[in-house]
Amino acid sequence: MASRRRMLLKVIILGDSGVGKTSLMNQYVNKKFSNQYKATIGADFLTKEIQVEDRLFTLQMLILPFLQIWDTAGQERFQSLGVAFYRGADCCVLVYDVNVVKSFDNLNNWREEFLIQASPSDPENFPFVVLGNKIDVDGGNSRVVSEKKAKAWCASKGNIPYFETSAKEGINVEAAFECIAKNALKNEPEEEIYLPDTVDMAGSSRLQSSSSGCEC
Amino acid sequence: MDSASDAPIKSLRPADREPNIAAGLQQVSATEARLSSVTLKDSSSRDGEDRVPSNGSLPADFYDAGEEIEAEDEEAPPSVAAAPEGSFEGDIAWRDGQGMDGEAPPSPSSSGYAGERGSSGDSSGIVEESDGSGGVSQVDWDKGKQRLHENMQDDASVSWRKRKKHFIILSHSGKPIYSRYGDEHKLAGFAATLQAIISFVENGRDRLKCVRAGKHQVVFLVKGPIYLVCICCTEEPYESLREQLELLYGQMLLILTKSIDRCFEKNPKFDMTPLLGGTEAVFSSLIHSFGWNPATFLHAYTCLPLAYSTRQAAGAILQDVADSGVLFAILMCKHKVISLVGAQKATLHPDDMLLLANFILSSESFRTSESFSPICLPRYNPMAFLYAYVQYLDVDTYLTLLSTNSDAFYHLKDCRIRIESVLVKSNVLNEVQRSIMEGGMHVEDLPVDSSLRSGSASNHLGMGRSEPVLVPQSGSGGPAGLWHFIYRSINLDQYVSSEFSSPLNNFSQHKRLYRAYQRLYASMHDQQTGPHKTQYKRDEDYVLFCWITQDFELYAAFDPLADKAQAIKTCNRVCQWVRDLENEIFLFGGSPFSW
Repeated sequence: MASRRRMLLKVIILGDSGVGKTSLMNQYVNKKFSNQYKATIGADFLTKEIQVEDRLFTLQMLILPFLQIWDTAGQERFQSLGVAFYRGADCCVLVYDVNVVKSFDNLNNWREEFLIQASPSDPENFPFVVLGNKIDVDGGNSRVVSEKKAKAWCASKGNIPYFETSAKEGINVEAAFECIAKNALKNEPEEEIYLPDTVDMAGSSRLQSSSSGCEC
Repeated sequence: MDSASDAPIKSLRPADREPNIAAGLQQVSATEARLSSVTLKDSSSRDGEDRVPSNGSLPADFYDAGEEIEAEDEEAPPSVAAAPEGSFEGDIAWRDGQGMDGEAPPSPSSSGYAGERGSSGDSSGIVEESDGSGGVSQVDWDKGKQRLHENMQDDASVSWRKRKKHFIILSHSGKPIYSRYGDEHKLAGFAATLQAIISFVENGRDRLKCVRAGKHQVVFLVKGPIYLVCICCTEEPYESLREQLELLYGQMLLILTKSIDRCFEKNPKFDMTPLLGGTEAVFSSLIHSFGWNPATFLHAYTCLPLAYSTRQAAGAILQDVADSGVLFAILMCKHKVISLVGAQKATLHPDDMLLLANFILSSESFRTSESFSPICLPRYNPMAFLYAYVQYLDVDTYLTLLSTNSDAFYHLKDCRIRIESVLVKSNVLNEVQRSIMEGGMHVEDLPVDSSLRSGSASNHLGMGRSEPVLVPQSGSGGPAGLWHFIYRSINLDQYVSSEFSSPLNNFSQHKRLYRAYQRLYASMHDQQTGPHKTQYKRDEDYVLFCWITQDFELYAAFDPLADKAQAIKTCNRVCQWVRDLENEIFLFGGSPFSW
């Protein structure tokens, strides 16, 4: 029986700069969109509460800043702020721009970057969601990554759910985040008994060995 | 926190855990039963309420926030009056303040507390909960928090930002665990911001201790996977705030033990809020005590004044049961110790006593029936549970028996019955009530010279007052303008504090004095420049005097116009007075204290 308490989900949002991560979040949380591009300098944190299947969720969403650096070959690279931001993530959203091939090609890097940094206990089954954003641009005429191609990639990575979105028009944004909550519901660990040791008088007030205890 | 508590959850929740085993009920294996499934009291689900998204952004928004609070901060007029007016007195002040909680009270001055800067009439200031006397019941705490839930949303809300002193606990993945004000879930973005700041500094192999922004301090304490943060503009020293965070962490350990770390090792996503469900009042009450209980910064405990023979009688029966396998037997009256006894070699730290007393006093359920509950004494053994049998013997007096045996309920119950009957027979409980009525040391009763000392010593504390040695001038406290003192015996790890008297009439004045003592304590014990032996300080509020020797620490507050030579002389007399009465105000002998 799943517990009825409110769940807090930490959601990390990754993708090339300019694909619309902040816009998606703004659309989702504040129902606002701005055409003006502003690079995310610091980390962006947003909170949104949603109800899915009678359960209440708080989504704690993070867009992490990446410091752009250039390696010796002049190749642009990203350096993340570090492992701590990824700690305890419940879901990772990968975003690309359907009008920019490179942002799609980089999905693989972002996914690997996440798995390295967050090092989840079960990387094969860690919940990802892929969003192909900016489908509204030029009526879809400037689109270079097909839905078929994106879906194929998602299928090859363990059937990652895929959504085509437009932060500008607000298309599919709600559905994408709802999917995140549903995923979390599926993967919700069973509440286990928390049972620390009892002081052992034979050992007097010495610290006890920490063999048994928390079964979480 | 109670947000998480709207469902039965399957877990050991040693905290809320319905600590009452109705006598004779499904006991013995009751512990297990209780541990495996506990149904939480639904604290009025707030599902239907409007949710305002909380947004945070690092670093820009963080500093914005700071500036915004700054902008709202009051410029308190410099206090001229020696005795600032409080709008309300004592309890009333607090309740009224409480009533306005979360509604951005139109006038913070009427909520009683005017900061350390004297009285203030400004109406746009930052509010600190003007919380009344120490004996406020838990119901009031809950009410305060609920009101906040109704009215305020998150870190973006003005009423939240106006709070003078925030305490926030979060996990190392940035998930909120506890917040003094507001709804933990709505502060998820803010908690993530705090985690980001802490982690960013840690990535540079450094440690973040404190951030100052104008009058605000942000103090960080990292305890493995648990991050504790205090954000305040109360001008308390960093050291004091850090110690308050340590106590808050200790309180969490008392409920859950340090084994919680292993849950985070196994699963960084671990959400510990369900394990803390129902313990909100315990934390609120501890935080409240930072403003009135000197034990929180002195790291000492205080005794209820009792005739030596009375305390001996109580100690003897406690010793009796301690020899029968009870680890600690503690008889307390509110926050004051009547007697306590420990098994051989077992030592009890004053901080553990403080946290245990706070846990018991702030949990309403202990009052109604006998209880058996797992607790951890973090200074004794942070990793493991003990089992506490708690029973109130009268409205203020309660007996706590600690055992290492989870099946000890019936044995401890028998012990309690024996103890109770002896206490009743030997009239201890009546003496306790009498002591409460009479109070402790009153500065007005300070013997004026040594010739009268012996006479005073033979009286019970309260009895000397029927014929006071020195008639105090109205509103001026004791001789030489003595208003108040705290004497801490270093060897005994006990302190005695004089009763408050005019002109220290209301809670906000008491709190202000404690904050002044706290600063004094911090400066005297400063690692870099100290420790010091004496300090004499005059400001517009008090003359403060501190004297530290190998044996004791004396903190005294005088009228700001007091004469220095007279004040020092008076302090000597206070010390002598305390020594004369030590058999009544301190607990001696058979003490398990040996740190």
